[in-house]
Amino acid sequence: MNDHDSISVVSLGGELEIGRKDEIREALAAARDAESVLVDLSAVTYADSIALTELLRFCVGAQQDERPVALVIATPQFARLVQYAGLSEAFTIFDNVPEAREYLGARTPR
Amino acid sequence: MTLRRSQLNLRCPAESEYVAPVRHALGAFLAALEFERQSLDDVTTAAGEALANIVEHAYRRSPETAERYLQLLAKIDAAGTLSLVVSDGGTFIERPPVKGRGFGLRIMRAIAGSLNIDTSEGTCVRMTFRAKR
Repeated sequence: MNDHDSISVVSLGGELEIGRKDEIREALAAARDAESVLVDLSAVTYADSIALTELLRFCVGAQQDERPVALVIATPQFARLVQYAGLSEAFTIFDNVPEAREYLGARTPR
Repeated sequence: MTLRRSQLNLRCPAESEYVAPVRHALGAFLAALEFERQSLDDVTTAAGEALANIVEHAYRRSPETAERYLQLLAKIDAAGTLSLVVSDGGTFIERPPVKGRGFGLRIMRAIAGSLNIDTSEGTCVRMTFRAKR
């Protein structure tokens, strides 16, 4: 999962929904100790509140440890879901990987 | 396409693996009715939240012998209003709000034109949408 620098990348795609709750939690847990995390969700085709709750749990934990996390969300349904849930401010979201990487690179010790 | 009265009625075991197929069937139904992409996604998102809620909570206090099902009924009337009824035969549990959880209801409220929850027999979530087509 580790990138060439100290940014860990978690990639999840397809439909992030109730049937994949454990898989989502485990994928995020694998990056639990990383200095900074890029969660690449650009290949997600659908997401529900179960996925959002797992992401929020992960991001709140990282925030408490002052470890930056950037989410890449490119799917309109997913982007609107975050708004509908009132969580726009809870996440740092980009719509492409290069910008997320740039954000994290500026906040990650080399 | 002229507006026609149509309906979709599905009943399945209340297991997580049935949520996506039911949602997909609803999406296909709305696509056949020529719903535009954003409306289709929003309606299926709201339905997905109601269905996931059943799988997560509805039958927690039900006896082992209870039939654990989820049901989705989607109807479009001649005026183009879509009504969606998602129901179960479980036991509604009033849960205190927990920080960082319970986004499903907020998402449904944000999407649906109206939302009504009847807990007199199982739980029945009724939503209507004035969807763009």
